[in-house]
Amino acid sequence: MSDLTALSATEAHDAFRKGEATAEALVRASLVRIDAHDGKVNSVIRLDSDAALEAAAAQDKARAAGILAGPLAGVPMMHKDMYYRAGKVSTCGSAIRRDFRPERNSTALLRLDAAGAIDMGTLNMAEFAQNPTGHNRHFGDCHNPWNLPYCTGGSSSGSGAGVAARFFAAALGSDTGGSIRLPASICGVTGIKGTQTRVSRAGVMPLSFSMDNVGPLARTARDCARIMRVISGHDPADATSAPEPVPDYEAALTGDLRGLSVAVPQEWFFEGADDVVVKGFEASLEVLKARGAKVSRVSCPSLRAIGTYVAVVSRVEAATIHAQWMRERADDYAKHLSGRLYGGYAIPGTWYVEALSARGPLLRQFCREALAEHHVVATPSLRMRVPTLAETDIDADPANWARHMAISANTRPFNYLGLPTVSLPCGFDDRGLPMGLQIAARPFGEGRALMVADAYQRDTGWHARAPALA
Amino acid sequence: AAAARALEDFPALIREFEALRGTIPTFEAALRAEKEPGT
Repeated sequence: MSDLTALSATEAHDAFRKGEATAEALVRASLVRIDAHDGKVNSVIRLDSDAALEAAAAQDKARAAGILAGPLAGVPMMHKDMYYRAGKVSTCGSAIRRDFRPERNSTALLRLDAAGAIDMGTLNMAEFAQNPTGHNRHFGDCHNPWNLPYCTGGSSSGSGAGVAARFFAAALGSDTGGSIRLPASICGVTGIKGTQTRVSRAGVMPLSFSMDNVGPLARTARDCARIMRVISGHDPADATSAPEPVPDYEAALTGDLRGLSVAVPQEWFFEGADDVVVKGFEASLEVLKARGAKVSRVSCPSLRAIGTYVAVVSRVEAATIHAQWMRERADDYAKHLSGRLYGGYAIPGTWYVEALSARGPLLRQFCREALAEHHVVATPSLRMRVPTLAETDIDADPANWARHMAISANTRPFNYLGLPTVSLPCGFDDRGLPMGLQIAARPFGEGRALMVADAYQRDTGWHARAPALA
Repeated sequence: AAAARALEDFPALIREFEALRGTIPTFEAALRAEKEPGT
């Protein structure tokens, strides 16, 4: 094994399982790469080197005795700094929680531990998971490893940048309006948010009661399938978590798209889209067609209402969660965040109730429009080319507000709809920055969305490319 | 009948919201009703 950091999560596990690489070697390779390059990328908040090496040594000892911890044994991971471990600081990317030590553990982290994943520490993120760019006033902006002045996408900025930079094989992010899929798209990796309530949110910083999702960012759809199987399923600590049984998502990765029908909505997702994004998206549809899929253009008038209601729900719920701190210490938030929260307090209660009341009917309407005769929906993950950090910095220039908010236009609707949605790399724009393809399926259709993503990745090499970090 | 900047959005949001009039009994029930077959 020449470069262990080049391995995907499933490849790293296979190398460990077969005795081709020790867990300690996998962790040390990650630590060396982080030490060499994260000074430029700024993806890490806290590196738990000693604890990770101890965990790796324990796994190597167990493996020598013929014991394998689980399907992620030996895999180095790090996580967005909003997953709680009792007694360990979880900053949530904020000054307000710079010294916050939770008293409980995240169920998702405990499930990853049980599967053998090695937790190396915590990652940079948008403050309280509330921007789509990767700006962070308190811990420094996260930089895109493909081109450092460009944004990483957010809010799981360190997760996307770190996986892309090959600092670790996979990471947990969270997704309330696109915060997994945006950094996945912009950094050229694969990410999935599941069906609403598919993964337990116990022990995770809340942002929106209705639309928060836990999920992974990794190199491949197969990596995501394995991690999703580990972290999904009902959790007594999260009464909202879905009781549906968790299928073997990897078993669905057949590569066979014959008979699959893909719907491409004609509304919303292409409004003001850059030409290079549309061309990249159309090229990705050709890949799916070559595998046997049928592609149809469909009309989805429901998207106009969905796009409006999702903004109401997320703003009101975030403002509610942050109300006490906003009363007592509003100046401790970055301006772009406090500005967003202030807006939430001015939304009439009747609007919020209407937005929630319409959610069920609009989900059913969207399914009638897009999924009655088709298996999945495909869209570009972003309408625009990847912008720079400077172009989207609201604190430096409030005129950047519109561009900043437009980043998440194509991801937000699927949070309101609660549908499982994957973003996977589908090429590079004319400035050499990654572009993403977004695939959504029916509720609890994670396996279907991942199957399409995996089939695409069998015929393309975008997900295997790595940035040249000099 | 930064905060200030954020609220400049509100006339647009009001217009969008009002434009929905006439264009539209739970979300959890709808999720189950529209499930992927076999799940």
